[in-house]
Parts: sequence; structure tokens; C-alpha cells
Amino acid sequence: MSGQQVINGLFLGGIYALFALGYTLVFGVLDILNLAHAAVFMLAAFVALTLVSAAHANLLVALPVAVVFAGLLGLVLERIAFRPLRGRSDSNISGLISSLAMAAIFEAIAHEIWGPNTARFPFDTLPDQQLQILGGVVSRLQLTIIGVSLGMFLVLWWLVQRTRLGREIRAVAESPRAARVLGVNVDRAIAWAFFISSALGGAAGVLFALSFNSVSPDMGRGVELKGLAVIILGGMGSMTGAVVAGFALGLTEVLVVSHLGGSYRDAVSFAALFLILVLRPRGLFGAPSLREA
Amino acid sequence: MRFPVRSFLAALAALAFAGPALAQQTVRIGAALSMTGPAAAYGANQKTGILAAIDEVNGSGALKGVKLEAVIEDDASTKEQGIAVFQKLINQSKVAAIIGPTLSNTAFATNPLAQAAKVPVVAVSNTAPKGITDIGDSIWRVSLTEGQVIPGALKTLQAKLGFKKAAVLYGNDDAFTKAGYDVMKAALADLKIQVLGEQTFAKPDRDYNAQLTSLLGTKPDILVVSALIENASGIVAQARQLGWKGPIFGGNGFNNPVLMKNAGPAAEGVYVGTAWNRASTDEANTKFLALMKSRGVDPDQFCAQAYTGVLVIAEAIKQAGTKGGRDDVKAGFAKVKGLATPLGKFSFLPNRDGDHTPAIQVVKDGKFQILQ
Amino acid sequence: MESLAELYSTYQSTLAYVGLNALLALSVYATLSCGQLALSSAGFAAIGAYAASILTLNFHVAFPFALLAAVVLPMIVAVPLGLPVLRIRGVFLAIATVAFGEVVRLGLVNWDYVNGAQGLVAIPQKTEVWMVYVAVALALLLFARLRGSKWGFALEAIREDEPAARTMGIHTTVYKLAMLVVGAALAGLAGALEAHFSFMVAPNGFAFGRVVDMLVFAVVGGTVAYYGPVVGAAFLTILPEALRVIAPLLGIEPGPLRALVNGVVLLLVILFLPNGIVSLPSRLAARRKARSAAA
Repeated sequence: MSGQQVINGLFLGGIYALFALGYTLVFGVLDILNLAHAAVFMLAAFVALTLVSAAHANLLVALPVAVVFAGLLGLVLERIAFRPLRGRSDSNISGLISSLAMAAIFEAIAHEIWGPNTARFPFDTLPDQQLQILGGVVSRLQLTIIGVSLGMFLVLWWLVQRTRLGREIRAVAESPRAARVLGVNVDRAIAWAFFISSALGGAAGVLFALSFNSVSPDMGRGVELKGLAVIILGGMGSMTGAVVAGFALGLTEVLVVSHLGGSYRDAVSFAALFLILVLRPRGLFGAPSLREA
Repeated sequence: MRFPVRSFLAALAALAFAGPALAQQTVRIGAALSMTGPAAAYGANQKTGILAAIDEVNGSGALKGVKLEAVIEDDASTKEQGIAVFQKLINQSKVAAIIGPTLSNTAFATNPLAQAAKVPVVAVSNTAPKGITDIGDSIWRVSLTEGQVIPGALKTLQAKLGFKKAAVLYGNDDAFTKAGYDVMKAALADLKIQVLGEQTFAKPDRDYNAQLTSLLGTKPDILVVSALIENASGIVAQARQLGWKGPIFGGNGFNNPVLMKNAGPAAEGVYVGTAWNRASTDEANTKFLALMKSRGVDPDQFCAQAYTGVLVIAEAIKQAGTKGGRDDVKAGFAKVKGLATPLGKFSFLPNRDGDHTPAIQVVKDGKFQILQ
Repeated sequence: MESLAELYSTYQSTLAYVGLNALLALSVYATLSCGQLALSSAGFAAIGAYAASILTLNFHVAFPFALLAAVVLPMIVAVPLGLPVLRIRGVFLAIATVAFGEVVRLGLVNWDYVNGAQGLVAIPQKTEVWMVYVAVALALLLFARLRGSKWGFALEAIREDEPAARTMGIHTTVYKLAMLVVGAALAGLAGALEAHFSFMVAPNGFAFGRVVDMLVFAVVGGTVAYYGPVVGAAFLTILPEALRVIAPLLGIEPGPLRALVNGVVLLLVILFLPNGIVSLPSRLAARRKARSAAA
């Protein structure tokens, strides 16, 4: 695989990792698949776009605003679609469906406000530069994305492993009941988890929109299933897993494309996903499940 | 209260003078468009074209005593709703003709219904080579198939640029782009151009770096792409970013001002083999562009073809003696010859497919220009 | 009389799709009834649709035999799929079956024999509305019979608490696999009937979104009763057509409104009517009773 393809794989992997980091956080904490993650990803991109193009804001302002907005959307999601379902016996199915409902509502709103067409950030949003590395061409923006995914991972790791909030979130992930007994404010911990998760998703959305110069109400479609594959491969709830699997999937897809052709790209991802679920459901870094079916 | 005799007489007088105007017949034209779902962007553009054309025809008074009315329904880009919409338009709204549906796949499911009910259908964006007009004599087509556009365009381009080796990239999960690819492949073979590599992508994809790197590594003379606009801009931008300075050739999906808007300077030197020559100086085209501009729309090919669809129906009604029944419209279609439309001089072929001169455009200085 | 005939021809396809969607919803319900969230129905519907269509188009097989193939082939595929996959718990099972569906779809997109993305066209229209409803009736009969039987109790037990059921000696794998096979048969049948109703079949009709729709039909209708999915399918299939009539009266575009209404209805049902529409009468009755008791 040529140097350029390695760069392509790392860049694609960075996108996947960023998307999956937020995804896996909620999955790990609540054992619920938040299918609205891709919609938050998309709305954050639109908010950043509107700030930059209509309000002429600088990207350095628009990006954090969009990320915080995404975090707040996460809080809304948690309050409306997930909290009322906690404690229900079929909470993983009902949670899946309510997140689906929210995703449909978010997409409909985006379609109404911004229309179905694909938009892009104005050309001077981020001055770009091509660099020659490893015998291939990479843009400064692409390097930024790879850097940001790794950076976000480190920040998140520090947050979850070294802060009190992180400890609380981990306790809730382990057992909400035990956590409550130990004095953890479970509602607050879960809300924070959603805020962080959605903020990460929002960051992924804005960076994705910048890298591919493409913002549309259905922009999440291409990543949502791949993101799922990444968190399963990496292991539910594992941040290290999300990052490692994200980059691994990106590199693998590029390898498949260069040797077998684009037609096999998605099929290989889904086949790998299927095999992992059958052979080792906990993924590469996931903890062995204590509760069996 | 006393009977208001004076006002009554005045009203009667007004009615008498207005008499002829009241003898107006309203002819309903149905449109089954994808306003939501994956094809929503195209459906929206088609709608603006249809509404503009109807206003234009009604305003010009070309059809004496006939007023056109649009009944536009959303098929959600699915065949299930496409069928429901067609049945509503045929049985409830009692339209004289149906424009659409947006997607060829939907058309395969809906057009047999119109054929059975003897309702004329004007396909304005279906480019599948088979299975549209062959459904029956009620199905007519304005949009040229890829087979009518691509081979000629590639031949002209080859004569001009002299390329011998090509690399091909196409969307294989969409009927529109797959049909385009089939035609491109055959045309390249006919021109004895060697295809060094082929790659595919899926419509939701936004990253084409892996495919492009692989293709450009084979060192082709030209990159041939069959894609819809949401992928086309990204493909062009990424190809240029990877260092490709050579020519890029695209099909109908590229014929959209969004290409320049989203790909920016990367779009320079992109050739588009297309049904609609945007840069045409024909009066019908300049009038269309001005009309759409006054409505705040920068039209794309879908818009132009939908607009033409209405013009063709209006002409058919005129040719049928300004009669707006379903059979009248069908009979009128056969008489449409050399109609001035934004697409050029339009006629129907004996097999009911559309016929007008296609074009090859090049992006130069941020605008589509006719290839000299 | 004239307007009744007119009404029928306008809404005939909606009627057909209510039945087809009911079959698909029941196919998801089959595994939900024993607590398994299997989202493989889109893949099985694709297999059934394509198998039947290839047989009628290329081999001129009589429609009943094509339908038979559409039922049997997915059942055969369901076994090697189910054995490894039904061991996986909860949401992971859902994901694995979604992956299966995507692999089927991508296989069809890349298979030249069936024209890839363009699909098979000019399929003879052999399906009539009554056939669809006969199929629905048979499916309902099957589930009704299961209800009070030993089989039904086993499914109920597995749904409630699978480890406990296993401890009680119930062969959970056999039951779960059997329901997956039943679901596959229903989905395959629905796929074949639809292909022969709408003249064509293409891979993009069997994407992830489709199986999610089926799940939504089942859940909105209610999975507490075997007829719940049918109610859900009817409600959600008729809703867009009802909105098409209502929206213009309110001055709104029906298309975007439909997408919004679908999401809102789904949310409201999940939050406030967790057992679906079919639980509404009993919930209202309980409320009335509580109110009169308090009075």
C-alpha cells in the first residue's frame, strides 16, 4: 500500500474514531445505542456553517459554539428520549427506538431550515496547505483531523480515568444501583455522559464537514453504520477500542479499495462486524460481559 | 331589505362581458416528484421548473381558453408512495398528464399503472435506457438517456484532447449513475480507449481518496466519472487535491451549478457530457435562465428538463386543437416537432424517447461554457 | 357507486401496502415475541423478492411456485444465520442482523445477473390485494394458535427471562431459531408479493432504513399482542396518505410534515404508550376505573 494510501487510511480512520468516541461513551454507560448521534453530528455541522457563512463568524468561534450546542442537544436527548425509559425492562429496544424518533425529528427540522441540497463552508474558512509526507500529499486540515481525534481521545481518557466525574460515569456504567448507593448522583453523571458524547459527535460533524466540504441533512448516513462497526470492533464502552478500531477500519477499508476495488469496501466492513459479533462480541478491548443473555 | 336591483343589473352586465373568459378550461398536470428522501434535492429543483413553466404558459396566453394547473405530490423517493401518488393523480385529481417520477426505479413501478389507465406520462429525469418508454404508448420521455448523450460527448472530447487511456469511477448503488457507467464503458470501448482501472463508490460516501489514489496511480490521460452532484463536487475536489491536473469527464449528474459552488477552483477543466447546454444562446434558453433568475433560482439540469416537460405538454394541447383531455395530449405529443425549449429544438422519436441536440460543456472561469 | 370505485382505485395500493407492511412487521414480531431483537427481515425480504422474480422473469415459473421458493429459500438461509447469531445478546443481535442485511444488499448491488442497482424490471403483476390479506390472515392464525399453546408459553418464558427459562429445561436455541425461520418465511413472502405488485425490485428497497420501519410498525402497534404489528403497519402506512389530504388544508407541505409526524408519533408512543396502540383501550379503561374509584 502506497504512502498516499496510508495517509488516506489514517485520515479516514481519524474521522471514524472521532465519531465513535462519543458513540461508545453512551453505549458503554447506558447499554443503549443512541441512533440520534449521527443527527447531532449533522446539526452541529449546520450550526457551524450558519455561523460562518451567515453570521460571518470566525471558525475558531463557530467550532466551539457548535460543539457546545451539540452537547446541549445531547442533554435534550437524554431528558426527552432516554431518561423516561430508564428502569423499563425492554430499555435497550425502547431506547433505540426513541433515539431513532429523535433522529427523524432532527433530520426533518434540518430539512425544513436548510433544505435538501448539499452546502459547503465558504472557501476562505480555513486556509489550507498541501504537505508532502511519506511520498503522498496531505492537507493541513487532514493532519488537523488526525491530530484532533488523538487529542480528543487523550482528553476524554483523562476525563474518564482521572477526574471525579469520570469515576462517577464509570461507576454508573458498571451498575447504576450500586453507584447510587455509593452516593453518586446518577442522573447528573448520565447527563454529563450525554453532554460529552454529543459534544464529541458535534466536533466530528464540523470537522467532517470541513474536510469533505459537504453539509447536508443526510450527511450522517455514510458514517452511522460504520461508526457502529467501529464501536463493536473496538469493544463497547472502550475509548481505546474506539480509537484503535477507528484507525484500523479506516486503514483496512483503504487497503480493500486499493486491492479489491470500491465495491467490496462496505461489504468487508459489515462482514468483519458480523464475524466479530459471532466470534468475540466484546470486541478487541471490551470487558467480558457479566450479564449473559 | 329591498332587492338591490342596481347592483344586480351591474353584476349581470359584468358577467355578460366576462362571458368568454369564463369559458376557460382548467387542465390539471400532475407531477410525482421526490420532495423528501434521498432524491429530495432533484425533486425540489424539478418543482421550481414546473411551477415556473406553468406560470409562463398561462401568462403568455399561448393556450387560448385553457389554464394549466399543477398538482404536485411527494413520492418520498420510494416506489410505495410513488404508486400511491400516481393512483391519486390518476383517479382522484384526474390529471391530463403526469410529469415524473423523479427516479427511474420508481418509474418502473408507477408507469405501468399510468399505461393501464391510458394516462400520458412525461419522464423528465429518467435516464434508464430500457424499461421506461417501452412500458407502453402512454409513456413519453423528455430526458435524454445517457446513451444519447455520452458517446457523442466522449467522441467530441477525444477528437479535441486526444486521450488514449482512461480511469473510471462510478457510483454503483444508484440506478442513474450505474446506467451512466454502462454507457461510458461501452463508449470508451468503441473509441478504442484503454481503461486502466475502475473503481466504485456508494452514494452516502464522502471520502473518495482511496479510490482516486488507486485510479490515479495507473497514470491515465483522463478521469471518467459517473456520479450524482452530491458526490461529484467531492470527487473533483479530492482528485485535484491528490495532484490530478488532467481532464475529468462527467455525465448528466455533473450538470449543476453546485459543482462550481462546492468544488470551487478544482472544477476548472471539468468536462460535462450533458443533455442541457446551459450556455446555449437560444432564445428559449436565455428566456428560461432569466425567468428562473427572477424567481431567485440558479437552475440545474433537472429544473430545465422539468420546465421543458411542461412546455411539451402545452404544445401537445395546442397541437390537439387546444383540447386538454388525456387522449388529446397523447395525440398532441406525436405532433411535437422542433419545439423551442431550453434544451434546444425538441421532438419525440418514434419510440417516444426525447430528441434534441445534447451538449458538451467545460467549466471555465467558474462557469459552464460550450466546448469550442 | 362511481365514487366508491374511484376511492378504491385511488387507495388500492395503500390497501395492498398495509397488508405487505403487516407481513413485514409480523416477521420482526416473530423474534420479538421471544425477546430477540433480530433485524434481519430486510435481508430475507430481499432474498424472497429476488428469488421469486428471477423465477418468474427468467424461468417463467408459475407464480405459486415462485412464492413457494420465496418462502423456503429465506427459511433455509435463516438456519446457518441463526445458529451463531442467536447466541448474541440484546442490541448486539440487532447489529449483527443489520450487518447481515447490508451484506445481502451489497451482494445484490454488485451482482450483474440481477442488474445491480438498477434491479429487475417489468416483473409481471401477479399479486392481488386479496392474496396479501390471505397471507396476513394465515400469519395471524399461526400466531394466534401459538398463543395459548406450550410453544407460546415457552416463547413468553424466554422473553421474560431467558436464563431462567433455560434452567427450567426449555431448549431456548430451538425456539429462537424456529421463530427466526418463521420471520424469514414471512419476510420472504412479503418481498415476493411486493415485487409482483409493483413491477420491479431493486437493492435500495432493502436498506437499513427499511428494516427499521418494520420494527417501528411492530412497536407502534404493540408487541404485547400478535395483532399489534398489523395495527401499527396499518396506522403508519395510512398516515402519509392521510397527511397528503390534511396538510394542504393546513397550508403545509405534506412531505416534510410526514417525516416530522413520523418521528413525533414514534416518540409519543414509546414514551407514553410503551405497549403500543393496541394497549390504548385497556389503558383508557384502567384510567377511567381509577378515576371512578377515586371519585
